[in-house]
Amino acid sequence: MVTVSPPVDVVTPEARAALPPRRVLADIALIAGRNLRKVVRNSRLIVFSTIQPLMQLILFAYVFAAVARVPGLSYKDFVVPAVLVQTMTFSAMGTGVGIANDMQTGMVDRFRSLPIARSAFLVGRTTSDSLRLGIQSMILVAAALLIGFRFHAGLPAAAGMVVVLVLFGMALTAFSAWVGLSVGDPETVQAAVFIPILPLIFTSSAFAPVSRLPGWMQPIARVNPITSAIDTARGLALGDGTLYRVSHTHLHTAAWHFSLWWIVIVAVFTALAVRRYRMG
Amino acid sequence: MPGGVVAEELVKRFGSLLALKGVDFVAPEGRVTGLLGPNGAGKTTAIRILTTLLQPDGGRATVAGYDVVTEPQLVRSVIGLTGQYAAVDEDLTGRENLVLVGRLGRMSKRASSERAATLLGVFSLSDAADRVLRTYSGGMRRRLDLAASLMFAPPVLFLDEPTTGLDPRSRLELWDVITELKHRGTTIVLTTQYLEEADRLADTISVIDTGRIIAEGTADELKTKVGGDVLDLTVADRADTALAARTLAQTFGLAERDLSVDLDLGTVLVPVTVGSAALVEAVRSLDAAGVHVGDFGVRRPSLDDVFLSLTGHIAEENRSESAAPRGRRPVMGG
Ligand SMILES: Nc1ncnc2c1ncn2[C@@H]1O[C@H](COP(=O)(O)OP(=O)(O)OP(=O)(O)O)[C@@H](O)[C@H]1O
Ligand SMILES: [Mg+2]
Repeated sequence: MVTVSPPVDVVTPEARAALPPRRVLADIALIAGRNLRKVVRNSRLIVFSTIQPLMQLILFAYVFAAVARVPGLSYKDFVVPAVLVQTMTFSAMGTGVGIANDMQTGMVDRFRSLPIARSAFLVGRTTSDSLRLGIQSMILVAAALLIGFRFHAGLPAAAGMVVVLVLFGMALTAFSAWVGLSVGDPETVQAAVFIPILPLIFTSSAFAPVSRLPGWMQPIARVNPITSAIDTARGLALGDGTLYRVSHTHLHTAAWHFSLWWIVIVAVFTALAVRRYRMG
Repeated sequence: MPGGVVAEELVKRFGSLLALKGVDFVAPEGRVTGLLGPNGAGKTTAIRILTTLLQPDGGRATVAGYDVVTEPQLVRSVIGLTGQYAAVDEDLTGRENLVLVGRLGRMSKRASSERAATLLGVFSLSDAADRVLRTYSGGMRRRLDLAASLMFAPPVLFLDEPTTGLDPRSRLELWDVITELKHRGTTIVLTTQYLEEADRLADTISVIDTGRIIAEGTADELKTKVGGDVLDLTVADRADTALAARTLAQTFGLAERDLSVDLDLGTVLVPVTVGSAALVEAVRSLDAAGVHVGDFGVRRPSLDDVFLSLTGHIAEENRSESAAPRGRRPVMGG
């Protein structure tokens, strides 16, 4: 006869249920580790999510650079920070898709029926996705340097730009998580995340300075959270002086706007996502 | 009922649909309690409330003495759950899936990998242990899902249609596992549409239909509830079936619709109060009517009869359903 229930480690229900900070961190690490393992195993996903932004970099750096002009600056240097920010928006979509997938395969139920911290699922997801975004932005920065993009403001500022990219991606991860939890179907999540993001990208300072956008679009572009992220990234990559010349905005102003937007987006969508998750 | 499961007046509403209309339900400690009901009866809804996945709109429930609404974390530390659909990670190997659940269930690294190896053996998955779950068949996934719910040897186990999608051999193996777990004192709540399964495994059965418990008791008690015995007649010449049915209805003062008649098989089932006395009477009257009897006997009603008489419809036993259809879960709703 088989042996299905040997006395494993004898733990009282109270001990199993307890959630000291150390346990919460361990749970987050376990779930984040599991997510990363999934990313690595889905090699197709990695390849596509890296090739797509690479092609975009090349498209903008060679094709658009030939037709688009920004006074006093190569279009390549102007557009690369924007392409990087844009890539973060696309990558953050993966969060919602992953969550919806976990709902569909019953993994969310599995986690919710285990004595783990309630927050571990969402925090674990954010942790692994931030790592993913960090690695991806570094690959892309390296690729950008290869095709001739140059940082103008030194190494610390360049590192700051990568931090801004990842922070921006993390904020969108909260939004994406909420959409994933609400929609519950991986295919629909992609469309649902894009619907608000694409128009925001096109009405931002991504591809042309705000002053060169159509008049009606300029006020939208100025308050657009994506403009704030792109201008901050640009300022860090190119220096405050260059940023002011092309965008008529200073780095500290852009960074200030970006911080405000970041707090609002993270607070609102984390609250919404947590509420969704609890409702189950 | 310290180690058992108690549900009182559980109510659950999905929009305008009342999925549970006040479910009272007791699963004594160390016993197997069957929740038997047709599609849409509310079995999964009840299990999801008892396992803290869903909030009830009314009523209360305790698992091993812990309240599912106010002490969910304690409930989660004493339960194992195998849901109706396998909840496993497609991108991890069988072993990784089990170890993850063990570690999240507070087991040490070593204890969880030893336990995983044992359970993989128990469920005949040792050979596939290090393969990614994408390559598993539906039945293998189902078995791994069960193994996952046993990782930290929880004292209370919820199994929602655990054998749906398993082949006969795997089903028998699972029945053995359940029986052994019971002998070791695990409290088990099991939902099923397989009447045979409830009969075989469950100490007591609660029959649920459209969100309400409509009967409960041991399989024997339920059978007695339907009343008496069943005369089971097969005529020698199928042409005589109708005549036999008419004769027997007359003999026992029943309407013909109370009998279950199959003209193709030549069988007639007659509900009677006391089988042995009725048998003599039936033989005499069939003889007088000139019906040749092929096979004749008295039997206790089966759970099928019970089910039919209680719910007014037959359990859909042969509902085919794979273990893990993709995209089948509705949007998680509040
Ligand atoms: N999330 C949900 N949203 C809306 N209705 C639901 C939801 N979950 C269940 N229902 C409804 O509640 C009723 C009970 O469903 P439940 O899944 O509990 O039945 P069941 O007894 O498990 O059936 P089955 O044998 O098919 O698994 C059904 O009418 C079902 O359509
Ligand atoms: Mg069900």
